[in-house]
Amino acid sequence: MGELLQSVFSPATTPVPLYTRLAISVAGSFVLLALLHRFLGPRGRRWLIAFVTFAGGLYLGLEYFLPVREQVLWPTGIPNPNPARKANILSPGIEPLGIMLSVILAFTVGLGVYSLCQVHGRNVAQRRPGWHNSLAFFLAMLAMLIFGFWAHYLPKVEPPPDIEPWPEGIYEVLFNGLFMPLQAATFSLLAFYIASAAYRAFRIRTAEAGLMMAAAFIVMLGQVPLGAWITSGLPTSGALAFFRLEALGEWIMSWLNTPAQRGIYFGIAIGGLAMSLRIWLSLERGTFFSEQG
Amino acid sequence: MASARVSFWQRFQQIPRYYIYLFMAGVVVWQILFPMPLPIAPSRATHGVYEAIAAVPDDKLIVISTDWDASTQAETGPQTEAIIHACLQNGKRFAIMNLYPPMGVKLANDIAERVTQEYGAQYGVDWCNWGYKYGFDNVLIALGKNIPKTIGDDFHGTPVGELPMMKGVQDISSIGLVIEVTGLASVTEYWIGLIQGVYGTPFASAYTAVMAPGYYPFLDSDQMQGMLVGAKGAAEMEVLVRRPARASIIMNVQSWAHLLIIALIIVGNAGYVLARGRGRQRA
Repeated sequence: MGELLQSVFSPATTPVPLYTRLAISVAGSFVLLALLHRFLGPRGRRWLIAFVTFAGGLYLGLEYFLPVREQVLWPTGIPNPNPARKANILSPGIEPLGIMLSVILAFTVGLGVYSLCQVHGRNVAQRRPGWHNSLAFFLAMLAMLIFGFWAHYLPKVEPPPDIEPWPEGIYEVLFNGLFMPLQAATFSLLAFYIASAAYRAFRIRTAEAGLMMAAAFIVMLGQVPLGAWITSGLPTSGALAFFRLEALGEWIMSWLNTPAQRGIYFGIAIGGLAMSLRIWLSLERGTFFSEQG
Repeated sequence: MASARVSFWQRFQQIPRYYIYLFMAGVVVWQILFPMPLPIAPSRATHGVYEAIAAVPDDKLIVISTDWDASTQAETGPQTEAIIHACLQNGKRFAIMNLYPPMGVKLANDIAERVTQEYGAQYGVDWCNWGYKYGFDNVLIALGKNIPKTIGDDFHGTPVGELPMMKGVQDISSIGLVIEVTGLASVTEYWIGLIQGVYGTPFASAYTAVMAPGYYPFLDSDQMQGMLVGAKGAAEMEVLVRRPARASIIMNVQSWAHLLIIALIIVGNAGYVLARGRGRQRA
């Protein structure tokens, strides 16, 4: 079974098997979806999703927790195809499952593009306020798509010519000349907002706020060379070394911040476990079944 | 109608925001044009990353997961560059990969191409780029068991199994160190939960300064060999690899920007305290 899965999910390196598999997969998906749509009502779909979710979670959980052996796939006598890696009977399915999930997740890119086109297409068609922003979205997306694919699929010339082929040049301008600086500039504006917000909002109204401010000043200065320079007169070893700003900042991060963060992690982990159990057992129905009551 | 009078001390609390923006821009431009270099001393966490790279056996690869994009490249770009310098100076082979956002794979590739040229390192022999792999947990689960099959083709479309440096690389046991460079929260949890925790593969990281405090517990528990914290970590790594570059300049700028923010907070609070004191006197 494992070998069959391995062979089915091995990458096809030659065109004929690749396109054959693609055609079978697409046709098979359509047939499966049509059958499910035809014969399964809302209640049946709900049960199917619940079953697949439970089976997937059970498989991954068991594969992780079951004992593993080097020579055989525990608990059977089947030889382990890779004795260097201990395995159990469920282990051979992990790689195909990982690849399959990657493929399924890749479809969400298409879904995202479809959703964006739907929303922005409506804005442009109905001339809603700000429709020109939606138009800019279409122009930007099409330009990146066209020149990105064109540049990528251009036949490569060896050795590379001195002058870049023009589709590659345009792609470089769009990516390195526009997209990157725009994204970087947007994020770098944070420095200005943080300076302004810190000045306006940070007031010592309570003792706790005073403590927080003192800690913030020490960490801010301890994180930069200027802070180390300010207290560079203090010795680098001995009791007084503790009062160097970089040492104080490190102490705050390691001794005060770490336990607090660890506590937060425990809280998140317990919450995550509870939520995972609810999703695994299909008790968390809001996302999938809210419209069906 | 007479406008409400604003006292001298209240003005301290109401500096118009465009002046603040101007001060900040002035400090940044001043330090870029006329830098005042200050000594940078590598921290314990940065030493940890460097030592983890140096300790990787020669027959194993280093995986650098470059999960960042242009928005955080001021910190993550120099971090990636300094890490690649450290790999090459120590004669270690490395593979770049990317889980998210996809832009990171090209940005890191540009850096790697530039840096490897300096050392005469060859693509496919000394380093390679595994490209962008969609999905977090399922990619890492599969990566632990079979690297060539999980990765498939590299950044240039070549099956990774055909690259000379990938000969004999089957599963995660061929990896001597994973270094996660990211501006994205929660990617580390996948690496630690699915690779470091399960297989004991050494792990180190490089984060933006704003997200680093959240990962100190992993450093404290030795699940992480070391950590680069923002541009500071990158500048410290530049010191260790003896290549002062962009991060060192950024640290000069950041030094004075931090001082400006502290000064603004003090001015605002001085105005607040003094205005409150005068208000009480009048009452």
